Amino acid sequence: MAKSPISSDQAPLEQLRTVADLLETPALARLYAYVLRDGPVTVADAVETLDIPQGTAYDYVRKLEAAGLVAEISDGRPSEYDAEPVSLTLSTDGETQTVTPALVAAVARREEDGDIDVYIDRHGLDGLALALDYAFEYVDGTVNHRIAARELDLSPLEAEVILQALEPVAAEYATTK
Amino acid sequence: MTATYLVDTGVFVRCGGPDNAKFQRLRRAIRQSGTELVIPQRVYEELGGDPTVEEYPSGDIPHPDGFEDGWIVVGDELAYTDPRVSTIMDDARRFIANETERDEDTIEKADTALVALAAQLLETGEADRVVLLTTDKPAGRAAEHLLSERGFDDRIEYRYVSEEYLETITASEFR
Repeated sequence: MAKSPISSDQAPLEQLRTVADLLETPALARLYAYVLRDGPVTVADAVETLDIPQGTAYDYVRKLEAAGLVAEISDGRPSEYDAEPVSLTLSTDGETQTVTPALVAAVARREEDGDIDVYIDRHGLDGLALALDYAFEYVDGTVNHRIAARELDLSPLEAEVILQALEPVAAEYATTK
Repeated sequence: MTATYLVDTGVFVRCGGPDNAKFQRLRRAIRQSGTELVIPQRVYEELGGDPTVEEYPSGDIPHPDGFEDGWIVVGDELAYTDPRVSTIMDDARRFIANETERDEDTIEKADTALVALAAQLLETGEADRVVLLTTDKPAGRAAEHLLSERGFDDRIEYRYVSEEYLETITASEFR
């Protein structure tokens, strides 16, 4: 029996918990970004590609499935999973931020890219999300590190470091932004 | 015809410091070709302007000691009083503002240092040809466009310095 396609009709607050985990757990973010990019995939594919323990991979898939971010799309053996692009918009007093697949992919690189890691430590996830917007422009050629530095209140050197670090993410997600 | 290679801040960030293979590859290519890299004063200031950036793996810029081996030199001061230089700075500000959809007032003269130094070297005859190595696409395009308009179309070249460019660079790129 084929399972129904992924629906993103999960209750927002329920999804919020998992999205918060995605932003806090680079390995979970890597798994989600992988399924979104390469899905449908099996858990074994993920274990092999991402080099994470099998038990962890199953736990993560179940967690993402419960939040409606990943769904089993065939009940063949082994099961295949596909992902739904996350889009969760949060507002506080006057500030709005949307969690996008590109932001999750940026967080996912944190373990392998020390520049992103240091940037998050210094400027937080909101700072990273803002820098990511500039990285899209940087890839398009509609901003440079000097303008970004002034608008983000960074030194030109720090702006260039983070723009280059985020460049591969921005290039990959440019069409799906 | 010998070329002058003008290099921007982003190239050094991309290289990731003297211990990095990309940095060593670039240095080898420059030394083997017997040329040197010229950085505008503004770039020199940017590279040394924020010591806190050393926390970043890519922020390990060999500044200023690494620039004393002779393969990277700091370019001449810009001749702001030379109308050929000041005019291109104004034109470049306008061009970059347009490319980036920013208000012209927000683009600083210093943002055009790379374009202006290229113009100065060509206008004074100090360089036969200028190659810009940069990650600043708006400035690269400004240089190609504005210097072509001034009759230097076959003497100005802009290269976007991507990861792949640095990973495969050899001395033949500098001949």
